[in-house]
Amino acid sequence: MSSNKHLSETIKRVVADEALSDESDVRAATEPFQAEFPYERDEEAQVTRREFCNFLGLTSAALFLGATGFAAKAAFDARESVTLPTAHIEGAEALAPNSSLNFSYPTERDSAILIRAADGSYHAYGQKCTHLSCPVYYSRDHRRLECPCHEGAFDAMTGNVLYGPPPRALDVIEVETRDGQVWAIGRNASTPQNGD
Amino acid sequence: MKTSSITDRRSKAGQAAVWQARLIMLVMINIAQLWILAATVDAALASHYSVLLPLVVASGICFLITLSIVKWWRPTSRKKTSTGYVRDTNR
Repeated sequence: MSSNKHLSETIKRVVADEALSDESDVRAATEPFQAEFPYERDEEAQVTRREFCNFLGLTSAALFLGATGFAAKAAFDARESVTLPTAHIEGAEALAPNSSLNFSYPTERDSAILIRAADGSYHAYGQKCTHLSCPVYYSRDHRRLECPCHEGAFDAMTGNVLYGPPPRALDVIEVETRDGQVWAIGRNASTPQNGD
Repeated sequence: MKTSSITDRRSKAGQAAVWQARLIMLVMINIAQLWILAATVDAALASHYSVLLPLVVASGICFLITLSIVKWWRPTSRKKTSTGYVRDTNR
């Protein structure tokens, strides 16, 4: 009888649009059902050791699949041969020895740096540092490419790492001189140095 | 009767220890796999393809160990084992 009273009172309050407490009002109203289908909210909120173990197992599977996916995508991308366009580097001809010029290759988003060495030869590299992608710049005093973020340095003639945290050389952009004009004809990603 | 209750208590303590050990091992393997995933992403972005396969294999081995722990390496009851063997608890 008491349960039915609770239930009818709760229904009246719901009809009257009064605020109900989920913990006390609803529990009291559903007491007869609680007796037949006991439900302990606190116990439900707890995670058993078995459930936690299963969760860790699923996490392990997800991490394995993630690593496999990344590796598969990288391997797939590496197999795709991309034909890069040739591009004229504007202003390269007028570049003074021991100085540099910024340009974009192969797309507008890929910034690159062209260096004219003291002997007049041209060398071009992707401008992203291979450590954390900061832009590198040419230091005329030291005649090397330097990354200001973490003090890495690259050889201006080869793009190889001289010191610092970069794990590999800069991407090399192949350049060619045709009729006095300098053209970018390809771009090669380097492999890690020192067995990294 | 007294001997039996002591054995039961020891049995429960042993089971709890095994559960604890399972959890610790699973957490450690998960941490190792997280590191492997980070290294895989790092290698993939750096075009360091030669280490991708070993990393994936290492992650797979970790997953197999986890699977074996979750599926098969469970604490057995002293009274009834998975093979149905009943041990004498009153010894």
